[in-house]
Amino acid sequence: MIVADSLVGLQGEPFRFPVDESKVREFARAVRDDHVTPDAMVVPPTFPAFAASAYETLDILEVAGFDLKRVLHGEQEYHYTRPLRVGDRLVGRSTVVSDTVREGRRGGQMRLVVLETELRDEPTEELVVTCRATVIELPGVST
Amino acid sequence: MSDVLQVGDRVPHREFGPLRRTDFVRYAGASNDFNPVHHDDAFAQAAGQPSVFGHGMLSAGLVASALTAWVGPDRVVRYRVRFVDRVWPGNVLHPEGTVVAVDESAGTAEVELELLRADGTLVVRADATVKNRTEGHR
Repeated sequence: MIVADSLVGLQGEPFRFPVDESKVREFARAVRDDHVTPDAMVVPPTFPAFAASAYETLDILEVAGFDLKRVLHGEQEYHYTRPLRVGDRLVGRSTVVSDTVREGRRGGQMRLVVLETELRDEPTEELVVTCRATVIELPGVST
Repeated sequence: MSDVLQVGDRVPHREFGPLRRTDFVRYAGASNDFNPVHHDDAFAQAAGQPSVFGHGMLSAGLVASALTAWVGPDRVVRYRVRFVDRVWPGNVLHPEGTVVAVDESAGTAEVELELLRADGTLVVRADATVKNRTEGHR
């Protein structure tokens, strides 16, 4: 079931996302990735989470008007055409691709919004990563 | 690190933790996610939680690290995580997972993983598509 004021098609402004060494090292340490060593660096697969927090221009929680007390991150997915590299200069852009309502298991309606973010290489515009975040607003207290 | 993945291969055992508030703070800084529910106990309790809890994406990152340590870096084509339950200070986590399918023509393997607490309860589910070497390739 589609919500009446569906956000589908809403697009954020493009944002720049530099993949720099110090941040990759810091992130790798935080997620216990052993592949970031003094000699070699492979960017951890969930590193785009940093861009979602630091550079993203589309504030989905705000535009969806969610009640923050019952919002969850339900699911996150990344598709890679190639691994990220330190030194990559990416441009990101996010679009709402799905905005639906379904029955909660215990009654009431829950809303699921899917935000898709494309990260492209700035010089070539090559698509490097597609990120899909599913944000869920749980049913409210019935009135 | 595995060479050629086959259906039934299992992720090597490793443990993460006991996770501490410092680990949540480290991830908060690294990911720029300063939601106070992950680092401010008074805030978390006012929001109805017993204490701060870890970012879901921290758990996602730990499973991804277990995955790349197993199949090798540079091989992740797709990675998906589904959040099930929260991680609390003191939790010790470990991954479990297997290769569920191999696509020889595409040169990929499908992996399903779970991140579990020491008592066997589930924190996150994950699945991934990884590049897989084939038997003749070096």
